[in-house]
Formats: sequence, C-alpha cells, structure tokens
Amino acid sequence: MAEQAISVSLLTGEIKRLLENGIGEVLVVGEISNYKLHSSGHRYFTLKDSEASISGVMWRTRPLNFVPQDGMRVVVRGRLTVYNAQGKYQIDCVAMRPEGIGDLHQAFEELKQRLGAQGYFDAGRKRPLPRPIRRVGIATSPTGAVIRDMLTTIERRFPSLEVVFRPTIVQGGEHASRDIAAAIEQLNRCDVDVIIVGRGGGSLEDLWCFNTQVVADAIRSSSIPVISAVGHETDVTISDWVADVRAATPTAAAEMVTPVTRQDLLMALDALAREMTNDVRRNISVMQQLATAFVDGRAARRITERILMRAQRVDDLSTRLARSASNRLQRERIRVDHAAALLTSLHPLAPLQRGYAVIERNGHVLNATTPLQPGDKIDIRRQNDVVQATVDAITNVESTKGTSHGKDKG
Amino acid sequence: MAKTKDEAPKSLEEQLKRLEEIATLLDRGDAPIDQQLQLFEEGMALAAGCRAYLEQAELKVQTLSGENPVIP
Repeated sequence: MAEQAISVSLLTGEIKRLLENGIGEVLVVGEISNYKLHSSGHRYFTLKDSEASISGVMWRTRPLNFVPQDGMRVVVRGRLTVYNAQGKYQIDCVAMRPEGIGDLHQAFEELKQRLGAQGYFDAGRKRPLPRPIRRVGIATSPTGAVIRDMLTTIERRFPSLEVVFRPTIVQGGEHASRDIAAAIEQLNRCDVDVIIVGRGGGSLEDLWCFNTQVVADAIRSSSIPVISAVGHETDVTISDWVADVRAATPTAAAEMVTPVTRQDLLMALDALAREMTNDVRRNISVMQQLATAFVDGRAARRITERILMRAQRVDDLSTRLARSASNRLQRERIRVDHAAALLTSLHPLAPLQRGYAVIERNGHVLNATTPLQPGDKIDIRRQNDVVQATVDAITNVESTKGTSHGKDKG
Repeated sequence: MAKTKDEAPKSLEEQLKRLEEIATLLDRGDAPIDQQLQLFEEGMALAAGCRAYLEQAELKVQTLSGENPVIP
C-alpha cells in the first residue's frame, strides 16, 4: 500500500474533467420539481423521470420566456458540470422550453385553480372604477402599437386626462412577470386613480408573464383598481381573472377610463347654458308681466339704463358662448337670441322703488289674476320691508288701464 | 409630478357641479331676480371656462423609468 492519498479537491477535479469532457453538452427531457427562483435571479431545480433525477441550474442571464412550474415536462439544453463544493453533478442549462403546449395549458389551469381556491378571483374583492378618473397609470411595452393606440384613444375621447406611463417588459417569462409586478407597485405611488396593465395578442408563451403568481399578487395588493387588458378578446390570463376589471383589448381599457368624452361634456355644457338662458329669460318675462300690473304704459317705458343693461347681459353672455360653440349649435342659439330680443326687459322690482308693492303667497309672487280668498295669508313686499297680512275681503273693480299692460298707449 | 400642479383652484368636476346647481336654481326661478342675474353670470362664466378648458386640453403623458430595471 504505497499508494499516495489524494485530496478531495484533486479527486473532484478529476471527476469534473471526466464528466465535463466525457458527456459535455446534453439535451434532456424530464419533469421539473423543486423549482426555485432565487432572489439573485438564478433558478435551481431538479429534473426527473420515474427512475432518476438530476439537479439543474439556469443562471439569470439565460433567457427564459415562460415560468417553469413543478410537474411541468420540459426539454433543457445545457452542459453537464460538477459543483465542487457539494460534490454534485448538475446540468448548467442554456435553454429550456415546455415539452408540449399542453404543459403550459396544464400549468395555467393548476395556477388558476390554486389562486381561485385562495380567493384571488372573488367577486367581493373587485372594486368598481372610480368616478371621476383624472390620472391613469399605464404599464405596457414602450414599443409597438398598444401604447400608441391607448394614448390615441384617450386623446380623442378625453384629452384632459393625465397619463403616467411606466414602460414595462410584457413579453415572455419571469423577467417580464417581475417587471409587471414592479410596475404595478410603482404606479401605486404615483397618485393615479386607475392602473391599466396590458399588451397586445400573442402566443400562450408570449402572454405567459401575465399567468404568474407574482403578477396575481401584485394586482391583489394594489390599493388602486387595476384593469387588465391582455391580448385579444379570446385570450384570458390569470391577470384578467385577478384584476378588478377585465378589458377585452387595450383600446377597450382606454375607453373604460374615458367614460365621459369631451364631446359629451361640451354638448352638456351647451345644453346647460341654453337652459340657463331660457330660464332667466322666462323668469324675467314673468316678472315683467307682473310689474306691468303695477305701472301704466308711460311708466313702463321709463326703464332705467341699469335694468336694460342687465337683460342685455343675458343676451351678451349667451351669444358669446354660442360663438364658441359648433355651427349647428350657433344657428340654434341665434334663433333663441332673436326671440329674446323681443323682451323689453323691465326690471320686475323697479315699481317698488316708486312706492308700489308686490304681493306674494308662500314665497310666490301673485299676479293680477291669481285667485284670492278672504282669510288667505299674504306677504306684501315693499321697497324696504315685507308686510305679513291677511285678506279681509275682495272687491271687484272695473278694469283699469293698468291691466291693459300699457301696450295700447303711445 | 410637477406637471400635474393644478392652476385652477377648482377642478372641472367641481365647476360642473356648481354649474348644475346654478341651472337647477334658475329652473326653479324663485330667487329674487337680482340674484338670478348674478347666478346666471356666474353660470355662463363657468360654462365658458369649462368649454375653453376642454377645447384647449392636451393629453399629458408622464413617462416613468422602471425603478428596478430587470435585465432580460
């Protein structure tokens, strides 16, 4: 036994050479178990079949466009290596893909079932979109048609909206999932009313980053309602299930956050302005008829400049607004203005300044023909006070020139 | 977020709400006519202001950089 003992390192080095040179690059199919995504970004797992298992490692720099799940059958390409410190041989994977599309579907169904059981999709958790929406956060790819289409839609419908855009990786696997989750968290601190996460259509593998627990958790912990708008109408992802609202497409999401369009509001403004104008004119006209009951024809013509100017102001303001309105609305407005020009603008309370009074009942002005009964409580409004009175008796008198509204005299 | 600073003291929603209040008051028509004219002036100014705001609005987009850029 003159043999010389060798060190563990030396032996391991020998094994390493043997395995790495003797076997080298491999293409292996197996089922994934104990999959761990370390915080460093490296992935560790075991590949197995019914008889054997082998350790695997995939460094963070290796692209992976889906999220491996335990139980999934995958094909990996890599080199056999030895991890000296643990005397362990393993596959250093450069690439990994699901063995068949069926595995992705299965992984999707499993995750959906698990999250469903944990209450991620409960209707009670879903929040309605707030009203009004002033600021919207968008997480999607900075390249491609999706962000452009959404911004175009928002701009066309309601450009007063503010958009906070977080360019996000939305293609493929883990990196994208983590970036989407980070984007949701970041937008939660940006004082937005709603967050849209989305991307355009693609293969199940392309959309896979929206089918992960990381994204589900980020949406669930968002304190701001999230709209998920992934793919086309027919693509449904975990993200769609967890989100408060699912939009069929990114453009549909852009429409959801602009429920009231600029056009709607402009038309409502015009309608309100028209109503106000008509109401004021009607009210003035009613008051004017009342006032003519108190004054004769000549007095009616001695309207103060001040009062004329006020009624003119009604016309001015409505005309000015009409000028900025659309042509169609403007034409309508001009007709209204013509009709209003007929108003002679008599300040209804002007007679009070000349010593006349207005009779009111329950806050409403009475005109000359309002029926009154003995015993009715009335208020007599004079220039500086209101007299509470009760009707004793009513005596009919011969019609005077006052009731002919002064329109007959020159 | 400096871009979002609001110049107007009142938001569009607040102005629209006030405008609707005024329209309701004028529709009821029981306020003294002086007050009605005041309301009317306020309402027309609000309507013109909102209209100008909406017509001049331009989409504001603020782009964030990812906080922890993930290297693919």
